[in-house]
Amino acid sequence: MSLAFGACLATLFLLAAIGMPIAHAIIAAAVVYLAMVGQDLGLAGEQIIYGLYDSFVLLAVPLFIVAANIMNAGSISERLLSFCVGVVGRFKGGLGHVNIVSSLIFSGMSGSAVADAAGIGKVIIQMMTRDGRYSPGYAAAITAASATIGPVIPPSIPMVIYALVSDTSIGFLFLGGILPGLLMGLMLMIMNIYLSHKRGFEADAVVPIRELPALTVKAFPALLMPVILMWGIYGGVTTSTEAAAVAAAYALILAAVFYRTLSVASLRAIMLESVKSSASVGLVIGGALILNYIVASENIPTLLAEVLQSLSVTPLVFLLGVNLLLLLLGCILDATTIILVIIPLFLQACRAMGIDLVHFGVVAVINCMIGLITPPYGILLFVINGTTGIKLADMIREIWPFLFALLAALLVLILVPEIVLWLPMQFGYVPASL
Amino acid sequence: MKPITTWLQNRADDVGVIMLSVMFLAFVIQITARYVFNYPLGWTLELCLTMWLWTVFWGASFSLRNEEHVRFDMLYWHVSPKTRRWLAGVAALVIIAVMIAALPRTFDFVTFLKIKKSGTLRIPLMYIFSIYLIFMVATIAIYARGLLRVIRGEPLEGEAPLVNGVKGNAA
Repeated sequence: MSLAFGACLATLFLLAAIGMPIAHAIIAAAVVYLAMVGQDLGLAGEQIIYGLYDSFVLLAVPLFIVAANIMNAGSISERLLSFCVGVVGRFKGGLGHVNIVSSLIFSGMSGSAVADAAGIGKVIIQMMTRDGRYSPGYAAAITAASATIGPVIPPSIPMVIYALVSDTSIGFLFLGGILPGLLMGLMLMIMNIYLSHKRGFEADAVVPIRELPALTVKAFPALLMPVILMWGIYGGVTTSTEAAAVAAAYALILAAVFYRTLSVASLRAIMLESVKSSASVGLVIGGALILNYIVASENIPTLLAEVLQSLSVTPLVFLLGVNLLLLLLGCILDATTIILVIIPLFLQACRAMGIDLVHFGVVAVINCMIGLITPPYGILLFVINGTTGIKLADMIREIWPFLFALLAALLVLILVPEIVLWLPMQFGYVPASL
Repeated sequence: MKPITTWLQNRADDVGVIMLSVMFLAFVIQITARYVFNYPLGWTLELCLTMWLWTVFWGASFSLRNEEHVRFDMLYWHVSPKTRRWLAGVAALVIIAVMIAALPRTFDFVTFLKIKKSGTLRIPLMYIFSIYLIFMVATIAIYARGLLRVIRGEPLEGEAPLVNGVKGNAA
């Protein structure tokens, strides 16, 4: 590690710590590095431009953002929710289960946890707290926890970003996320049942069975979305980037033509929101590309791999260690930043130890999603606070049991790679390990 | 905000909205042409990539407010207002210096690409990549304005935070 690289890191951490946007801090740090090693200062811009301009895969990011925003603005989320209330609302802790199941279904349509919490999450929190059956803190906590499943079950923006830095197949990553996502949902439901009994939550009003067909019909076009996406990607019909565009187009048609809930003004607002999200994520991606270029030219990942091998760390200890580190970083850093900047450091070591990169990627993405609800810096908590006004302190008090349930799921997935890899293998994936 | 700046802001937002919409439409056309009419197009992909590049840097230059960026702002909002002004001032000075230092060589890189044309639409890459120069200049201007606020003792952008500055994050 050279002095210039040290200065680069120092600049990055200092600027980021004092509140400068991460992307700006990375660009500044990169220019400092280039100046110190006497390279062309224009290289920073060149790397960022080509990185964004040359990547077909990255186009999926803005498209999934548009799709998620359209689904939230139209009444698609609400229809799904009524359907879930009808199906799982009848059990003890009913609306808690509705919350989790609707997140599971919604996660098969959207690739963003924030969109999940802000859209469907906001509606269900209102339902849960309306008659005072659930405390606002409990409703918000279970919503935040179940929103983490969003990017684990495909489609997934974080997985697209991981695929970019790791050169793994998006298709196999997406497949690898399905069973783990279901496992996370199951864990949360078990925790919800336990807490409902312990605290004696009253049962919610049951929707009569005879109303179910009508609710299903209303939600049916929305329920088709995950099917279309899966069929497109795994039927070999479309690439995942194209599937993202199909998802956005389908959401638009549903909202505008079928459900007739979209005006021109609201469409502009949706697109503007998407422009802002795309710009902020795109800029961080661009910045991370130049940073990764520097990290690679300093040979850091190889050095790290060598050190770990000389310490004769076993793959399992390595995985546990990295996950612990990611969890700690997740408390203070944004998920996109971790996936783009921190995770590439370990990929070389993974290869050297024979750890499968799809397994590692899925586990790492789940870990980063759990980081979205870990205080003090948990974006999902902030979003719910912003959309519902429920106090952060109330949410944080209630989040621990759900955090525990998700961590249990994460541990199982680290110890049993087969849960991640089984489905990709059915589609012809040959993992590095096993 | 004064009416004229509000108007300008709305038009800048309109441009971003149009760019993203064009990207989306081009992609839909591409898919339709390829799968429905079995007639693959080349220009749509290039248009998509160009619009994506422009949406990112246009949005970052003219639509994103400081608190809408991905940022680690716990410390920033927990220090006293006086210290915060110092932090904002230092950050602004550093980014202005760095951007100005990198601007000439980046300008050379972009203008050099006058001779290289894009794959299918045959547009000189210089024009496509010029958005990055616009972004650099806009960033300098944004931070210069922030610096001016610090010096004049005016309230900083986003002071009295609304939602902890987390809007506009997609992960």
